[in-house]
Amino acid sequence: MNKIIALTKKELHSYFSSPVAYIILIACLLLFNVLFFMLIEQNREVSLRDIFQVMEFMFIFIIPLLTMKLFAEEKANGTMEFLLTAPLTPSMIVLGKYFSMLIFYSLLISITGIYYFIVEYYGNPDPYSILSGYVGIWLEGALFIAIGLLTSSWTRNQIIAAMTSYLILFSLYFSISFTKYFTGFAENFLIQLSTRSHLENFAMGIITASDVIYYLAGIVLCLVLTGLSINHRLWQ
Amino acid sequence: MSILTVEHISKNFGALQAVDNVSFEISQGDIVGFLGKNGAGKTTLMRMITAFLAPSSGRIFIDGDDITKHSLTIRQKIGYLPENPPLYTNMTVLQYVKFAAEIKGVAPKKQAVQLAKVLEDCQLEQVKHKTISTLSKGYKQRVGIAQAIIHEPKLLILDEPTSGLDPMQVQQVLALINNQKEQRTVLLSTHTLPEIEKIAQRILMIKSGQLIIDQSLKTLLKGSINSTDENTAKNENSQVQALTLEQIFFNHHQGSAPVSSKTPIQTPSQNVSNY
Repeated sequence: MNKIIALTKKELHSYFSSPVAYIILIACLLLFNVLFFMLIEQNREVSLRDIFQVMEFMFIFIIPLLTMKLFAEEKANGTMEFLLTAPLTPSMIVLGKYFSMLIFYSLLISITGIYYFIVEYYGNPDPYSILSGYVGIWLEGALFIAIGLLTSSWTRNQIIAAMTSYLILFSLYFSISFTKYFTGFAENFLIQLSTRSHLENFAMGIITASDVIYYLAGIVLCLVLTGLSINHRLWQ
Repeated sequence: MSILTVEHISKNFGALQAVDNVSFEISQGDIVGFLGKNGAGKTTLMRMITAFLAPSSGRIFIDGDDITKHSLTIRQKIGYLPENPPLYTNMTVLQYVKFAAEIKGVAPKKQAVQLAKVLEDCQLEQVKHKTISTLSKGYKQRVGIAQAIIHEPKLLILDEPTSGLDPMQVQQVLALINNQKEQRTVLLSTHTLPEIEKIAQRILMIKSGQLIIDQSLKTLLKGSINSTDENTAKNENSQVQALTLEQIFFNHHQGSAPVSSKTPIQTPSQNVSNY
C-alpha cells in the first residue's frame, strides 16, 4: 500500500508542479460556472440535473487531456523502465496512477458543490437527487479516467492516447443515438452501453444496482486491461 | 558464491537474434565490465537480467532465485541504471531519491538514514534541493546511481554510466562505482575501455549477441602483454595495457569469428594491422 501511495503522491506532484493542472481546473470551473448560470436562468429549476448532463459531455473532452500523459509520458521519457525494474507489480503502478487522477478529478467536481448552495438559496432543491447526481458524475469520471489510463498504456505518443480515448468515449456516449436503426437485443445493448442512459438515472435521483455495476464493471475491466497491457510490454 | 547465473540465454525480436546462447556467472563482490559495440546485445542482456525483458530461452538466477518465478523478489535485489538516467526532471533530487526509496520498499524508519547516506556517497548533498532539470549531466548521472543503490541492492547493473560525461565527471562516476565494490556486485557496460580497466576485475565481451570473451582482466591483459616487447611494457606499462584492451576489443569486432573463453587472445603485435 505504501508503494501505491508513493506513486499517487508522485503523480499528484507531477500535475501540480506544472501549470497544466491549474489551467484545466480554472478553465473547467469557469466553463461550468457560465453554463450553470445560463441553465438556471433558462430553466428556472432548483435542480442540477441539466448541469450534470453538461458536465458529462464536457468531461469527454477534458479527461483524455488529463490522462493522456499517464503512461505515454513515462514511456517517452524512459522512466517506464525505472518503474518496471523496481519491485512493483503492474497493479501497483496502475492503481497509483489511477488514484492520483481520481483525486484530481474529485477535487474538480467537489468545487462545483457550491452549486447546491446557490440553488438552495433560491428554492428548495431535493438534496438526495443532487447527491445521487454527484455520485453518478463521479462514477462516470472514474470510468473515463480508467479508459484514458488504458489508452495511455498502449502508446508513447500522448496525442494518439488522447485521440483513442476520444474515440472510445464518443462511442460510449453516442451509442444511444443509434438505437433507431436497431431493434430487440441490439437496441437494448446500445442503450445499456451508453453512458448517457446510466447517468440520467443518477441525475434524476435514482440509484440502481445496474447503473452502479455498469460503471464499476467498466472501471475494473479497464484497470485489468491496463495491468495486462503493462505486463505484456514487460514480457515481450 | 555466485550472485548472478546466466544459463544459455537467448532473445529474439522477430527474425533478429539479439542475444544468442549466452552463459556466465558472476561472484559476489566483483566489478565486471561488459563490452561490446552498439547493437551487440549488451542492453538487451542487461534488460533480461533486470527482469524488464523476458528471455526467449534459457534461465537467469539472481542470488539463487529464478527471475521468471521470483521477479518481484529479484527486483528488490537489483539496482539498475539504464543508459539514459530515468529521472523525473520536475522533482528535486531529494524528492526523487525519496520516491525511489519508497517504491523500492525501504522501510519508512530507515529512509532518512538511507537517504542521507546515499546523498553523501553520491556527493549530492549540495544539490539535494535543486530541481533535477537544472543539474549538469554529471550530477544527473549521480542521481541515477543514487536511485539504483538507495535500497542497498546486492547487484548493481549500470548501462554505460559514463556515456556523454566530461573527463572530470567520468572520474567522479568511476570513483563512485569503485566505492560500491565493498557493498555489492557491479556489472557495468561501457565503450570507453581505459575506464573499465581502472575498476573492473573481469571482462565480458559480446559480439552479435554471442559472448566472445569471459576472462579476468589480469588474465586477459597478461596474455596480451606477454607477447609484446617486454621493454615497451616496462616503460609504458599503463599506456600499453590500455591500448591492449582496446586492441583486443578492436580485433574481435573486425569480423573475426566468435571465440570461447578458452580461445587464445591475439596479441597486439598480431592485431596492429587492423588499425
